Amino acid sequence: MATQEHCLSYAGCNFLRQRLVLSTLSGRPVKIRKIRSRDDNPGLRDFEASFIRLLDKITNGSRIEINQTGTTLYYQPGLLYGGFVEHDCSVLRSIGYYLESLLCLAPFMKHPLKIVLRGVTNDQVDPSVDVLKATALPLLKQFGIDGESFELKIVRRGMPPGGGGEVVFSCPIRKVLKPIQLTDPGKIKRIRGMAYSVRVSPQMANRIVDSARSILNKFIPDIYIYTDHMKGVNSGKSPGFGLSLVAETTNGTFLSAELASNPQGQGTAVLPEDLGRNCARLLLEEIYRGGCVDSTNQSLALLFMTLGQQDVSKVLLGPLSPYTIEFLRHLKSFFQIMFKIETKPCGEELKGGDKVLMTCVGVGFSSLSKTLK
Amino acid sequence: METKDQKKHRKKNSGPKAEKKRKRHLQDLQLGDEDDARKRNPKAFAVQSAVRMARSFHRTQDLKTKKHHIPVVDRTPLEPPPIVVVVMGPPKVGKSTLIQCLIWNFTRQKLTEIRGPVTIVSGKKRRLTIIECGCDINMMIDLAKVADLVLMLIDASFGFEMETFEFLNICQVHGFPKIMGVLTHLDSFKHNKQLKKTKKRLKHRFWTEVYPGAKLFYLSGMVHGEYQNQEIHNLGRFITVMKFRPLTWQTSHPYILADRMEDLTNPEDIRTNIKCDRKVSLYGYLRGAHLKNKSQIHMPGVGDFAVSDVSFLPDPCALPEQQKKRCLNEKEKLVYAPLSGVGGVLYDKDAVYVDLGGSHGFQASDEAGPTRELVQSLISTHSTIDAKMASSRVTLFSDSKPLASEDIDNQGLWMPKEEKHMDLKTGRVRRKAIFGDEDDESGDSGDEDDDEISEGDRLENDSSDDKTEEEEDAEMTNKYKYVTVKGIKRQKLEELEEDSEVDLPAFADSDDDLERSSGEEGEVEEAEESSEEEDATAEGKQGILESKAEESGETGLWPASHCGDHVNLEKSLLLEKAALPTSDSGHSTAEEAFASENESEGSSSLSSEEEDSENEDVFRKKYPKPSQVGSGQNLESENLIDETSDIEDLLKEEEDYKEENNYSTETLGDLKWKEELSRKAAEAFLRQQQATPNLLKLIYGTVTEDNEEEGDTQEELGGLFHVSQPDGGCKHKADSLDCSRFFVEAPHDWDLEEVMNSIKDCFVTGKWEDDKDAAKILAEDEELYGDFEDLETGDVHKKKSGLDTKIEDVEKDIKEEIDCDAEENAKKKHLDKKRKLKEMFDAEYDEGESTYFDDLKGEMQKQAQLNRAEFEDQDDEARVQYEGFRPGMYVRIEIKNVPCEFVLNFDPHYPVILGGLGNSEGSVGYVQMRLKKHRWYKKILKSRDPIIFSVGWRRFQTIPLYYIEDHNGRQRLLKYTPQHMHCGATFWGPVTPQGTGFLAIQSVSDMMPDFRIAATGVVLDLDKSIKIVKKLKLTGFPYKIFKNTSFIKGMFNSTLEVAKFEGAVIRTVSGIRGQIKKALRAPEGAFRATFEDKLLMSDIVFMRTWYPVSMPAFYNPVTSLLKPVGEKDTWSGMRTTGQLRLAHGIRLKPNKDSLYKPVLRQKKHFNSLHIPKALQKALPFKNKPKTQAKAGKVPKDRRRPAVIREPHERKILALLDALSTVHSQKMKKTKQQRHLHNKEHFQEKQKEEEEKLKRQKDLRKKLFRIQGQKERRNQQSSLKGAEEQLK
Repeated sequence: MATQEHCLSYAGCNFLRQRLVLSTLSGRPVKIRKIRSRDDNPGLRDFEASFIRLLDKITNGSRIEINQTGTTLYYQPGLLYGGFVEHDCSVLRSIGYYLESLLCLAPFMKHPLKIVLRGVTNDQVDPSVDVLKATALPLLKQFGIDGESFELKIVRRGMPPGGGGEVVFSCPIRKVLKPIQLTDPGKIKRIRGMAYSVRVSPQMANRIVDSARSILNKFIPDIYIYTDHMKGVNSGKSPGFGLSLVAETTNGTFLSAELASNPQGQGTAVLPEDLGRNCARLLLEEIYRGGCVDSTNQSLALLFMTLGQQDVSKVLLGPLSPYTIEFLRHLKSFFQIMFKIETKPCGEELKGGDKVLMTCVGVGFSSLSKTLK
Repeated sequence: METKDQKKHRKKNSGPKAEKKRKRHLQDLQLGDEDDARKRNPKAFAVQSAVRMARSFHRTQDLKTKKHHIPVVDRTPLEPPPIVVVVMGPPKVGKSTLIQCLIWNFTRQKLTEIRGPVTIVSGKKRRLTIIECGCDINMMIDLAKVADLVLMLIDASFGFEMETFEFLNICQVHGFPKIMGVLTHLDSFKHNKQLKKTKKRLKHRFWTEVYPGAKLFYLSGMVHGEYQNQEIHNLGRFITVMKFRPLTWQTSHPYILADRMEDLTNPEDIRTNIKCDRKVSLYGYLRGAHLKNKSQIHMPGVGDFAVSDVSFLPDPCALPEQQKKRCLNEKEKLVYAPLSGVGGVLYDKDAVYVDLGGSHGFQASDEAGPTRELVQSLISTHSTIDAKMASSRVTLFSDSKPLASEDIDNQGLWMPKEEKHMDLKTGRVRRKAIFGDEDDESGDSGDEDDDEISEGDRLENDSSDDKTEEEEDAEMTNKYKYVTVKGIKRQKLEELEEDSEVDLPAFADSDDDLERSSGEEGEVEEAEESSEEEDATAEGKQGILESKAEESGETGLWPASHCGDHVNLEKSLLLEKAALPTSDSGHSTAEEAFASENESEGSSSLSSEEEDSENEDVFRKKYPKPSQVGSGQNLESENLIDETSDIEDLLKEEEDYKEENNYSTETLGDLKWKEELSRKAAEAFLRQQQATPNLLKLIYGTVTEDNEEEGDTQEELGGLFHVSQPDGGCKHKADSLDCSRFFVEAPHDWDLEEVMNSIKDCFVTGKWEDDKDAAKILAEDEELYGDFEDLETGDVHKKKSGLDTKIEDVEKDIKEEIDCDAEENAKKKHLDKKRKLKEMFDAEYDEGESTYFDDLKGEMQKQAQLNRAEFEDQDDEARVQYEGFRPGMYVRIEIKNVPCEFVLNFDPHYPVILGGLGNSEGSVGYVQMRLKKHRWYKKILKSRDPIIFSVGWRRFQTIPLYYIEDHNGRQRLLKYTPQHMHCGATFWGPVTPQGTGFLAIQSVSDMMPDFRIAATGVVLDLDKSIKIVKKLKLTGFPYKIFKNTSFIKGMFNSTLEVAKFEGAVIRTVSGIRGQIKKALRAPEGAFRATFEDKLLMSDIVFMRTWYPVSMPAFYNPVTSLLKPVGEKDTWSGMRTTGQLRLAHGIRLKPNKDSLYKPVLRQKKHFNSLHIPKALQKALPFKNKPKTQAKAGKVPKDRRRPAVIREPHERKILALLDALSTVHSQKMKKTKQQRHLHNKEHFQEKQKEEEEKLKRQKDLRKKLFRIQGQKERRNQQSSLKGAEEQLK
């Protein structure tokens, strides 16, 4: 049945997650060639292999073929299965790397997903678990994915390079998603944050908080930054500290920024004061970009708009990130969905940079995994 | 006297008058209205019991909520597709007649032969597609899936037939469309009463099947072979006003009931191999959901295909434009049925017939004159531009020389060849359109170096290039002009065509340039500085060179030029790369785009309106005056604005030129047709240029999905040149870090005041919008609601009447301020106030009782409105990109690789349906269903017997397994379906969404006289593995028995097997339970087991296990449409083993033990009861066995002595003996005699009796005769008398 033209083919390992996730959701097989073919160390890396393994765990009937050098990957998706899963993530990337894709897939499982992920919770590359908890979960709630079992719990923190963190994510299943109309981000009413430190002096967190507040206080008085100092088993294997900030608006939009210290033994030591200040500035940058969805979650919002009913969904975004742009292209090739993109110039108002209004009609996606009784 | 005669007045006791009087009387007595018992007798209706009250309240509420349907978003388009009316019934019931009558009723046209669907305009807002459904079950299944309304014809003189019930069942399974029964042949009833009875009987049977109160229509009789006009008219009215509830499957899937089919295969391919796979195009109205290009479809009866191209055409049977009048104009009563030969054209297998009259459908195209013979343009092509379309035309009408489609494309239609380009920066593959004539440009490849000075500028907007070139051209000679214009403009056009073909919004090349340039401007300063003049000169030069080249070299190699271009491109990209060393992603992000926009002052900005306007300017300049390029053909562009007309002319011009050059064989009509295309293209281009912002192009400009064809790009071009691919650069990007975070590349300095101010309003502390500012809203409210009137007391409260004077003062101040401002429009404010008050009132009283249901409904309505409004203002081309093709459009779908039998054996009577498939509905897996054997089906179904399912769009044969779910969730295999119960079924086949209904039939070929639908049910679950198990009992025998422990052998073969089952529960046949303990060494596979009791050696021990069954992956689509005409209902797939055995005469050798033998019962022999003597003694006498002692020998003393007689005595005895003998003999004789005598006497008596009877009989006979004679005589005399009287 699956014809050859049905299969999509790509080159390079970039955007691997997007491709595999979209392939799973759309049911179209995908072939990825030339994965680091010119590299000294060709083929898939550990973290990608771990991701593929994770995908295998949560699906049933997937066919994954990787050639000997690991430079070619063929993925024929099965059905999303879910259930209780445990997964040890590679420490090369943080749990956020895996969690982002799981957020895309979790609502469409056969059995509600409950997954324990172990590895690095916060690093400098991927969105940390804290940020995803603060921004992605409220976003999913807008699409009607809600309930008691919908939660992301950070049991242990683990910093690179050692890792040792643990996160529990559980998500209910939905057959259909609600269309959204997020065109007004509202005004920021409060800023919350989380300054964490593991295996370093607990004072670090307080120093971060002070410096971050010094910058943000000029804009809004309602700021509260929690300090989270984990000890013993819960503190993972490597020392580190960091800060994540979230700005909440009156309309329930969450904008975030985060920074983490350099991993042990890599780069120069970072002063917590600098880190706090820089993170606050990053948050201001994010606010400048604006939109109804955080820049890291743009693709998630767009995906769920695509997977909605055959209704019009709208969302106002800040400037599109390269990841999102590629994601839009992938959406077009996997789901034949094109977004109507209108730029909203900033104009007179002092509300940061230009915004983009994304509009689309959902594909009328219905989860094929759910059992009828 | 007179007074006495008068009647006494009698009071009226009945009738209306008396009634009235009584009422008045009652009223006078203050008893009120008698009718209203509630009022008259309020006590009787008082609340007697609170519980009963509550119950009755609950009941009414229940009834109320029962009426609710789950609200759904209304997704019907503004111009809905025609309603599919399926006319169904057994043969000879009058289907065709009814269709003909209906068509005549609506359009006043008579169709001689009806083949395929007929679309008619039935009202101002409604169209119908009428199609006939025969008795082939394939056709019935297919049509039930697409029907909106079913006219079920029933022969009343015969009653219901199996087909009717089958069709009803099919409908039930696949979503229940509206069903209307039509009784025909009612004129065959002689007696009115019988007719009435039949009607009633049929009606009630119909109601049980559909729903009580379903409409059953009566067509009383035929007049001149047609139904009565009035009845048909009424039926038509019913159809036109009918409302439909959306069906789940139909609204969630796009589908098309094709009303036209065309074979587009290259005739040469067919000539060489008649069995080659075909490329066909199918036409029809799109229904259901939005259809996306390149999506998967299923053609029931043919198979699964990927849509290779979709395009929409002008509606051939459009609804009337203006709706001022009440009824339809004669001209607006259109009918469209290409397969039946209506609507101008009749398509046969190998010929096309054009109907020249009798249709209003194509009057517009009639005016075109010479195009008449061009079937294509007649039907559909007066507007669309589509390269494929054109190619189809060429293949159809290339009369003399057969041309390969590529050739045709290149020569006639300027179809660009594709060449893939790899963008260094983005790593995307871009498809450049390359034309056969571009070899003209080859000359400038050598001179490219000269132009390299302005490398950066070369990456300018295409349009600006064009402009400058154009300017240059204007100065040149006419000849040159022509050539260059052709070179460039054609390119534009080609891009357009290509775009329309692959459904892309933008123009690949120009977009990329845009993107690139924007990126560059963001990073590289020099590029920005470059002025337009420079460009102009550079490009101009190039233009000249190009033109020269074109003039001189005709057969130059175009790849060479291309290579040159490519080199150029690469260099520039390298430059760019240098400028962007840090950017991991390598994309020119949107942010950059914005940045560039802000910075840009010069020629090309990215996402601004300037850009668009500039483009327009460019266009204006490009086409200076129509007279310059003047020709006689710019006549038809009167109604267009100047610009477009100019462009159009120019385009037309080029087209003509091209045509003249390369396609002299074509007729004039063709040319005209093509002009249309070009005009449309130009229009579309302009529209899109204005409509689509550039960010859209940035993202979708170049197709990402072309990546999949990347592998092919390595091929050599023209056999000589190898396309150099910037692999290294590409790899750099393709293999970079996969991260979703959006790092800030150029951070602002947040210490600066103005930077800080730029986001000031993002916080609640900032300035609010007018409509949200709390202070302002408060003030407005104050103004509106400040004073109010107390209705109860009649007091008018002014603002003063408040309690807190301070607040009051403040309010007053505010109000006065505003009043000052708004004094001039006080009246308006007053009205405003009133309106608001009214709204408040309404809100309180009307919507006060808003339930969850109402809220949900409101939400759905809002969403529906939004859906409608969002893309309303956009033109169709743009809409199609965002939404897909919306239902109601008349589309043309191109499909490749269709089996040749579909075309060769095409029968227009059979419906061709294209059913769109959702995501991953094209894949296969295990489908679990709840199934019930149909109660009318005679047999039960067997597991692993192939059966034909109809699920979703598909009909296919597969091998199901039936199972039943045990209480613990175990799915146990069943050999046969239960008789009257649901069971589960699993098959391996196409994945279909849960909740979809299905039906199963054993065979689609017409062999069974009985009810054909074997089972129905619903899809429950989809999976990639199954969990069905069957019971397996392992048996063993004890070989050593201790007290409760036994050694068992024969159950397993090895110690390992035993180890696997340690702890498992075992049982003996007699019911002693036990457990497996441990394996034994001695006989392999033996084990020690403990039981709850001691076993016997004769016991059999068994263990119950469950063994997973495997399932044959057999999926065989029913390809009934591929069968030859007339045999389409004879498709047969895999046969069951039973059928095979029967066919081959193989008898199954049964197990001997399973055979039934006659039961032989042996006679039971009982031994005599033996009671021991001791026991006997102890027994009471009553119970003692009373066996009679055998009569022993008579003792001697009892024996009588023998008598010895004397001789005298002996003599006496002898005499006595003799005497007695004589006497007895005598007696015997007399007895005999008496008997004889008696007998004789009896006979004599009998004889006498007989004689007597005979006599009596004779006598009676005589008597009767006399009596009869007498009577006759009497009669005769009476007759005579009458006669005499008469005389």
